[in-house]
This record gives sequence, structure tokens and C-alpha cells, in this order.
Amino acid sequence: MPFDPHFIARLIPALVEGAEVTVELAVLTMAICLVWGLVVALAYGMRGPLGWIAGIYIQVVRNTPLLVQLYIVYFGLSMIGMGLSGFASGLLALCIQNGGYVAEIYRGGLQAVSPRQHEAGRALGMRRWTLYTTVILPQVVARIIPPLTNQAISITKDTSQVAAIAVMEMMKVAQVWVESSANTYDVFLGVAIIYLALTSVINLAGKLFERKLAFVQ
Amino acid sequence: MLEIAGVSKRFGTLEVLRDVSLSVRSGEVVVVIGPSGSGKTTLLRCINMLEDYEQGTVVVDGEPVGYRFESTTGRRQRMSERDIAASREKIGIVFQSYNLFPHMTALQNIVAAPVRVRGIPRARAEARARELLAMVGLSDKASEYPVRLSGGQQQRVAIARALAMDPKIMLFDEVTSALDPELVGEVLAAIQQLARDGMTMIVVTHEMSFARDVADRIVFMDGGAIAEQGEPDQVFFAPRSERVRLFLKRYNDRYRI
Amino acid sequence: MKEFAPLLHGYWYLLRGAGMTVLMAGVAVLPATLCGIVIALAQVFGNRFARGAVVAYLFVIRGIPLLVLLTFVYYLLPLTGIDLPPFWGVVLVLAFYYAAFMSEVFRAGILSLPRAQWDAARSLGMTRQLMMRIVIFPQALRLAAPPFVSLCVSLVKATSLVSIVGLWELTMASREIVERTLAPFQIFIGAACVYFCICYTLALYGKYLERRALVGH
Repeated sequence: MPFDPHFIARLIPALVEGAEVTVELAVLTMAICLVWGLVVALAYGMRGPLGWIAGIYIQVVRNTPLLVQLYIVYFGLSMIGMGLSGFASGLLALCIQNGGYVAEIYRGGLQAVSPRQHEAGRALGMRRWTLYTTVILPQVVARIIPPLTNQAISITKDTSQVAAIAVMEMMKVAQVWVESSANTYDVFLGVAIIYLALTSVINLAGKLFERKLAFVQ
Repeated sequence: MLEIAGVSKRFGTLEVLRDVSLSVRSGEVVVVIGPSGSGKTTLLRCINMLEDYEQGTVVVDGEPVGYRFESTTGRRQRMSERDIAASREKIGIVFQSYNLFPHMTALQNIVAAPVRVRGIPRARAEARARELLAMVGLSDKASEYPVRLSGGQQQRVAIARALAMDPKIMLFDEVTSALDPELVGEVLAAIQQLARDGMTMIVVTHEMSFARDVADRIVFMDGGAIAEQGEPDQVFFAPRSERVRLFLKRYNDRYRI
Repeated sequence: MKEFAPLLHGYWYLLRGAGMTVLMAGVAVLPATLCGIVIALAQVFGNRFARGAVVAYLFVIRGIPLLVLLTFVYYLLPLTGIDLPPFWGVVLVLAFYYAAFMSEVFRAGILSLPRAQWDAARSLGMTRQLMMRIVIFPQALRLAAPPFVSLCVSLVKATSLVSIVGLWELTMASREIVERTLAPFQIFIGAACVYFCICYTLALYGKYLERRALVGH
């Protein structure tokens, strides 16, 4: 039963097709969250209602499961007439949740830059714009590479939950194949290997970035 | 060149600076000594408005820095951020913890402010930066990142960086306290060279023999106020105040000035 | 307001589901923590084989989604003939998965202790066991407590995934109510609120621990 070459030959293309959807979801989510997370982080830093809303948003998405958020978007929106496709719902839910996490990463990175750097820049006569663009932000970018890499891996793994709303990403494909054949082992192996490949690539990319910016302590 | 008049500052209930007044002539080197917590560092930070202060004014080269008296009402008013930033260009400061920008090379550290704050063309700024690096003895380190430089080298780059803005006065805040003893000499040498070149300076330090060598005037601070000031020989060997005598006794006994 | 009627009728069912969620997470936490500590110790003190095994285990677990593991164990278990109630099956998978992340937290806690602590203990003539017990462990645990609580929050959220393989807990309960009442928006938001209450409470406790951890430094 296991390691049936004919089965595997048919399985791989199907898994790869699913993997394409997985990658699409993950990449889109990461790209959108890099921007959206920044917006949220900036909003959080502002005084007044905007700051509170951002704070509440971050706490809510961090303390509720992605699956439930997914159901709310997919089933809830169609209930009020704004139904989205499975893929779009998945993308929206992933972005909503990870936007909060990425915002926290931005904030952490900013706080990690020593106030002495601010002082040094100000002592040289720099005003806020110059200070941030030439001194602070480059250091923030270097510091947030590791947590962003982790977040990218987390996003890639979370795409598997979109299987619950019948989107044909890799996990759903695997589910279908497991249910229709008796060959659980091979499907598991295939899925695991592809996920490991994806996460390893992300890890490597992250390490490369880290090395390029290694002068920041 | 520098007029500090009646500066007072408190942190909560603690009076960190009490009615401090000090005049520094152009080209004069003033060394400030005193026990920890006497307000020396705070005074320096107030001069270039890294800290606010409740009373008093600071005037550098005829222009107020930080607070001015409003012409119509005569009230003391905090200057705008833009004015404060502009006036900081006249004051150079070197910190105990060098504070170099880690993501830039030594050369880039020095040219960052002249190019982006003053708008000086990069080529001219780089040429001047190389002159300054030569002056502090680090010509060969221009393309090194701070992480590859020793503490003494980083501090000298910090001095060059401050000088690149052509300040009218240089402030040094215990710039050798965080260095290994064998690296202290090179930094003090750089400061002495600056003094010989006629830069107006206020130096806060624990290095007493250096203070004696480089100072035109010694200022002793204690408890947020100036307890005594005068020529080095007078303060070190014939202090008028008991507190100064006690403070120096420890150094005299240990270091035999 | 009357749109929320289905929620008002069903909330008790949701709370029972929440009870199951908390039970699952609570039962999974103990083996996860114990294994996490053992794995961390193996990584810090173990010989090459132990460390190699641990590295391999960590690589695989951190590279594949929890859902993949859950799904395949769920399908695999009947085939191996082990007669395990599904509840224990998923609890073990959760524990197995989270042990990896726990071990990283504990490892970081142990390694972030300053060398001086080890040197002091050793030069007082302590054996390794004594040193671990009264010097290293207490401090490492205190340092690891805030991220540990974070992981517990993550674990509670992860229990929602067992609903995809058909087990009953809060998310499954909410799905059942939605099928009956066709009011997904209200019900899922209600479920999200319940999750939020559980997780946010834990998160606040974690923040409290974080502040306490800083007191000694």
C-alpha cells in the first residue's frame, strides 16, 4: 500500500497544483500585510480614538482563532449579501489576522532601536523626517527580518486552514485524496515534504537577508 | 560664546540643576568635574535641548537655544522644534556611549548630517569627512562599520561626526568613561588637539590629570549647582570649598595629581 | 438587536463547547510542557545523537501545519489498530506539536541566563543536578513564563482545528448552531467572543508575568 509508485505519480501533480494555490495565498497575504500591518502600527502609535481602535483590533485578532475568523468572513459575509469566494475569504481572513501580528512586529522593531540613536541624530540637528529615514528605519528593517520570516512561515502553514471552506489549496487536495484512496501514508509524506520545502525556502531567504544586514546589533 | 543663565531643572521632586549660570569665552576650554549625580551630564544635555528645563536660558554665539524671551510679553517661551534643530547645528556633542549609526560606515556616519541637514553636496562633505578622519587618526577606517571598530576608534569617529557640522562649541560628556584604559589616551589626544586648534569646549570628565592639562578653567559641580570654579592649579591645589577638597582628596590620594 | 436572538438561545451550548475547548487545551498542556522541558534539556546537554534527533523533530514539526498532523493521525490511527478515543488522539497530537515550540521557549530561557550564574554555581562546588535544580531552573522558568503563556493562548486557539476532523468543541458547537439557525454572523462572532474571553485573560496574565520578570533585573 505505501510507496505505490503509480499512486505517487498521480498524486504529485495534484499536490503541486494545490501547492500553487497555497503559495499564491501566502505570498498575497504577506505582501498585503506588510503594508496593512504598517498602517495598523502607525495608527496604534497615534493618540485618540484611532490608537484605541488599532489596539483593540490587534488584541481581537490575536486572541481569536483564525478558523473562526475564516468562518465569519466566509459564511457571515454571504449572509449579509457580500459573499466572497473561498479564496477571497481566505485571503481576507488571513490578512486581517496577520495584519495584527505584523503590526506588532513593526512596533517591536521600532522600540528595539535605542533611544540613543534618536539622541545622536537630534544632536546633529536632524529633524524627524531625516532622523527616521536615515537613522531609525534602516535599523528597524534589519531588526524585523527574523520575526517577519517567522511570520511568513506561520502564514504559509495557516493557509492549510482554508481547506475548511473548500478552497483547493494543498491541504484540501490532500484531504480529498486521503478520503478517496486508502493510501494515507503516501499522501501524508507528499504533503509534508512540500510544506517542508516551502518553509525551508522561506527560512533560507530570511537568513540571506539577515546576513546582508548583519552590521546591526 | 556661550552664556548659561539661571538654568534650573527638576525630575519630579529632585532638583537636578539649581540656578546654574556659566559664561564660556570663545576658544576657552572649560572642564566640569564633580561627583556622580551632581548634574554635570544634565547640564550638557540642557545646553543643546536634549532635555527641557524649567528656568533659565542658554545663548550660543548671540542666539538663544531652546528658550527665548518673547519680544512682546517678555515671557520665556520654548522655541519651535525646527528652530531648536537649527540651533543644534552650532553645538557639537559627543556622548559617553558614542552612539554611532551602526548601519553606516565611519565615513557615512560623518557625512550623514552635513548632507541631509545642511544640504552640502556629497563630494564636498566626503572630502571634509576624510580631513576630519585624518585629524583624529583614522584615515584608514573610513569604510569600516562601527561594529568593527574599537571603543576608542568609535569615539574618535563620533568626535569627527560632531565636528563635521562646524559647531561653534563642542560638548564632551564623559567620553572616556566607557572605554578600556588603554583606549582612553587616543581619545584624550584628539580632544587636546582640538583645544590647541582653538575650539570652544566644555568637557565633563573624571580624568583629573587630563583636566589639569587641557582646561583653561575648572568648574566643580555638586548637588546641581556650581560649587567652585577657577584656574586648574587653583582648584586642584588650593580649593576654597571644603566639598571640593574632600572630592579631590580621593583623587589626590589615588592618583597623585 | 433581535438579530442576535439565535445567539441568545444558543449561548449555553457554546459555553459547553468552550468547556470542552478548555479541557482539551488543559489536558494537552501538561505533556506538552513536560516534553518541551525534556527536549530543551536534550538540546542543551545532550550528546550528538540526542541533539540530532531533536533538531530533526523540530525541523519537521515547525515546518508543517498542525492541521496536516491532525488530519493524518486521525485517518491513520484506526489503521494501526490502536484503539484510542478521538479525544485522546487529538490531545496527544496537540501535545506532540506544541512540545516543539515549548522546547524552544525553555531553551531560550536556559540559554539567556548570564554565564555568571553557571560560573557562580559551579565554583560553589554544586553538582550539575543541584545547580540545575536551585539556580538555573527557577530563573529560566521565570524568564520563559511570559512566552509560555503566549504559547498556551496559541494552544487554545489551535483546538479549533479539531473541528475540521470532526471533533466536538467550541468551534464545532458553533457550526452546529449555525446549521440549525442559519445565522452564521452572530453565532461565529459569539464564538469569537468566547475565545477572546479565554485567550485575553491568559494574555493579561502573561503580561503580568512579563512585568514581574523584569523586577529582578
